[in-house]
Amino acid sequence: MQKQLQAQIERLKQAGATYADVRWYPVEETSELVMWNGNLKNAAASRQSGLGIRVLYRGAWGFSASSDLSNLSALFDQALSNARIAAQRVSFPVRLAEKDAIQASFNSPNRIDPFGVPLTDKIAFMQTMDEKLNRPGVMQRICALTFVRKQIVFIDSEGSEIEKNIIEVFPEIQVMGVDPDGVSQVRKFSPSRMGTTRGWETVDMQMFSENADRIVRELNEVMAAESCPKEDRSVILLPGIMFLQTHETIGHALELDRILGYELAFAGGSFVTLDDFGKLRYGSPKLTARADATLTNSPGSFGYDDDGVPAQNNLLIDKGILVGAITGRQMVEEANAKARKQIFDGSSGANRATAFYRVPIERMTNINIDPGEDGTLDDIVRNTERGIILDGEKSWSIGSNREQFHFATEIGWLVDDGKVTRVVKNSTYRGETLKFYNSLSAVGDQSTWEVRYVDNCGKGQPNQIMQLGHGVPVCRFDNVRIGE
Amino acid sequence: MKEKILQTLRELRAYAISKNVTATFFYHEEDSYLMRFANSAISLNTNEHLIRLEITAYEGRKRASYELITHLGKLEEMKQGVDIAAEMVKHAQPLNYEPTIPQYTETFIDESAYDAELAKLSNEERLAYFNAACDGLETEDIKLGGIFSNGTNVTAQINTRSEHAQYFVTSDAQISVVLSHTKLKWEVIAERSAQQKSDLNPKSVRSDLNFLLDRYQHDAPQQLPVGSYDIVFGSAAIADLMNFMNYIGFNGGAMKRGYSFLSEAQIGTKVFSEQFSLTDDPTRRETYPFRRDIMGMLRKPFPLVINGVFKGFTWYQDDADEFGAQPTGHTVMHKSLVINGGTMDVSTLAELAAMPRDKDILYIPFLHYMNLVNPSRGLFTGSSRFGALLLKKDGSIVVPYNVRVTQSLLDIFGDKVAWISKTQVVSNQSSSYGARNPTAIIVPAFMRVNGLEISHSNSSY
Repeated sequence: MQKQLQAQIERLKQAGATYADVRWYPVEETSELVMWNGNLKNAAASRQSGLGIRVLYRGAWGFSASSDLSNLSALFDQALSNARIAAQRVSFPVRLAEKDAIQASFNSPNRIDPFGVPLTDKIAFMQTMDEKLNRPGVMQRICALTFVRKQIVFIDSEGSEIEKNIIEVFPEIQVMGVDPDGVSQVRKFSPSRMGTTRGWETVDMQMFSENADRIVRELNEVMAAESCPKEDRSVILLPGIMFLQTHETIGHALELDRILGYELAFAGGSFVTLDDFGKLRYGSPKLTARADATLTNSPGSFGYDDDGVPAQNNLLIDKGILVGAITGRQMVEEANAKARKQIFDGSSGANRATAFYRVPIERMTNINIDPGEDGTLDDIVRNTERGIILDGEKSWSIGSNREQFHFATEIGWLVDDGKVTRVVKNSTYRGETLKFYNSLSAVGDQSTWEVRYVDNCGKGQPNQIMQLGHGVPVCRFDNVRIGE
Repeated sequence: MKEKILQTLRELRAYAISKNVTATFFYHEEDSYLMRFANSAISLNTNEHLIRLEITAYEGRKRASYELITHLGKLEEMKQGVDIAAEMVKHAQPLNYEPTIPQYTETFIDESAYDAELAKLSNEERLAYFNAACDGLETEDIKLGGIFSNGTNVTAQINTRSEHAQYFVTSDAQISVVLSHTKLKWEVIAERSAQQKSDLNPKSVRSDLNFLLDRYQHDAPQQLPVGSYDIVFGSAAIADLMNFMNYIGFNGGAMKRGYSFLSEAQIGTKVFSEQFSLTDDPTRRETYPFRRDIMGMLRKPFPLVINGVFKGFTWYQDDADEFGAQPTGHTVMHKSLVINGGTMDVSTLAELAAMPRDKDILYIPFLHYMNLVNPSRGLFTGSSRFGALLLKKDGSIVVPYNVRVTQSLLDIFGDKVAWISKTQVVSNQSSSYGARNPTAIIVPAFMRVNGLEISHSNSSY
């Protein structure tokens, strides 16, 4: 098959294409199990295979995809035809940053292949969790297991050939109850990534059992609590919400295609401009953020991106100053040219597609905040005069240029004079991105740092859902409006 | 192609019966084209032809499904899918209710929403539409963006209970034309939905954009003070609000699970504004309707709200099975929502701007990144985008920076409604997430709601 694909790429080059690549998925499998109030509501599996072809012709992209590989020539011709018409409307001819031709492979580290685990074992795990969650106060209980396995073969016209075999496991338990005011409250648990693997072995029964007890207890505490006050306080974000804060207001804001206006018709832009790199004070000096695709245990690590660029660990924000972005080969060339200076020294290896039938775009890898020197969570609480600890994402809404945001969380604990005083429900906070990060006053140490994952990040048209990670510590921000 | 699809489904049915497997088959085929524009260039020109087949096997109260992306030449692969689903269901856990398997009493074919000319538009035609829609409007700083998405969507179903099948084919086009300022970072938009090629009218798109550009190019934007405003929502914003209300309000299963802001006790009572009436109307072709649901139920106009009175919940079959409710013909990929037109005689933004007014009115055409803060209260939050205007009491118009609205849907569609426009428009709500599912809602062109809170106001874009 690889030889046929290489021959087709060569044929397109002879027809005038300046670059072409193909992503062939021999197989992509998913398995989804959902147990809801003891009912196995969803026992589903899927399988797909196919290929997507990307062609550059006179500075414009064309793309075509199909699961029917019976006429490869027609598929490749369609991609070139799409590029030819796109070449009639070019404002900045696409150029690709230099990269090495690579022959390599990547296998995500797994000890136990989840697709080899019997369905009965998975259901037994879910039944155990369901029984643990079936406690007074709980109206709805959900246990969900999702498994993904994909094999991707990447070949391009520059001599690269890369094979990736990736397995992911996404487990979650959730409880919901209705409080005396008739308002639904929810508490969830999905494990942070630990160790160095990402297979079935990460679904640890003891850890889930302990956290099942915890989320039921906390749900009942929330349901008995008063509402979050509407006032300004310091917010102490646990990793269970800090990951999403980072995702929405650092990650998306620093995707270079957004900065260059390529998502303005739908997902939005960014308040960041090309002039800001190296100068903009994004946050306080306590803020250091990076895009690290080398973490072994996270879905934001994939060996090589869909441009064929190897995984990297790059600074985005260095002690509060903006220094980097999430980039692919096309955008760094355009950004450097438009800025008339060398901002980016090559692609950061973040161009990814969600499936064979979608085109690669800039996606987050693992967008992390470095741990700080402000101690443990207890230390931070002890040093907080008037604050609120927040955890668990409930809703999130961000301005179209990522300039402002509003989050609701599952639970809040008020802090007064260095002590946790009481739980509150309906907790929310909002802010303006730069003002918020410049109010960062404490960053927890390594003991507070966790790798959380996102399995449903949406972007692009046609829409693409991507999986990635965030390694974040506990962080405290001052003078934030809560309770709206 | 229709016959080949139906024949394939019949062969799969026969195979399942021969293996003594009780199964349902859901076939989805899309032939999609998308031309995407950004920075005044075609940033992506793509097509995809995908066939998805979902096979659900049943064994008493046990159920398991297997989905594959395949093509019609791979019958053996599809048969293997039947075997896999049959093996999965053996190991599944029984539900505590009996899942209903549809039994079609006749074969139902619906091709009424298909227009071959629209489905098969050429690359040149898509490009020509965009060129006409923005003719003369682009500058060094004002760049074109947006999408032209069109294609064919086929769904078909059969099962082992009956030899009959259902087959639906639609063609659709979803068009968004965006002009954005590269330095000032504002964007304005015009959107269209088409069911047939003759619906395509790029000149009307250009006219809408031109009106907004006149303001956005020449007026200095202002930061609005936070506080209470009378807001006129445009059709895209109304449709988005409607989608959220449909998602958490009217779904019987969501209500039973405690996620809805409506209750059974409210059926037959006035919950919303008397001016507000909403129907799920599968007779409206513009909504890409399903005239039968997946269970084979004939779908008729289903009133949800009449003059503010809540008429009842809709039920998916599986929720109806679980909670012992009567199914309502809503086991569909999307409803056909229609908000009745009101009494105010206003059709265009120019007419809205020219209307006399006794106080300042904030016009919000589009809500960006809405989310539900508190579903039980219908509380949502979202930011304005794509061409908001402050229509001043004195007749002048101010361009505002974006603002955030955090409010209950019960306020938006409740007694704070001042007026609803007579004119209705089609808002295309198709999502390109996963399988193509052409969806549109018929909404008023404008709706004024008084006394809504702006909780945040940007000091820039």
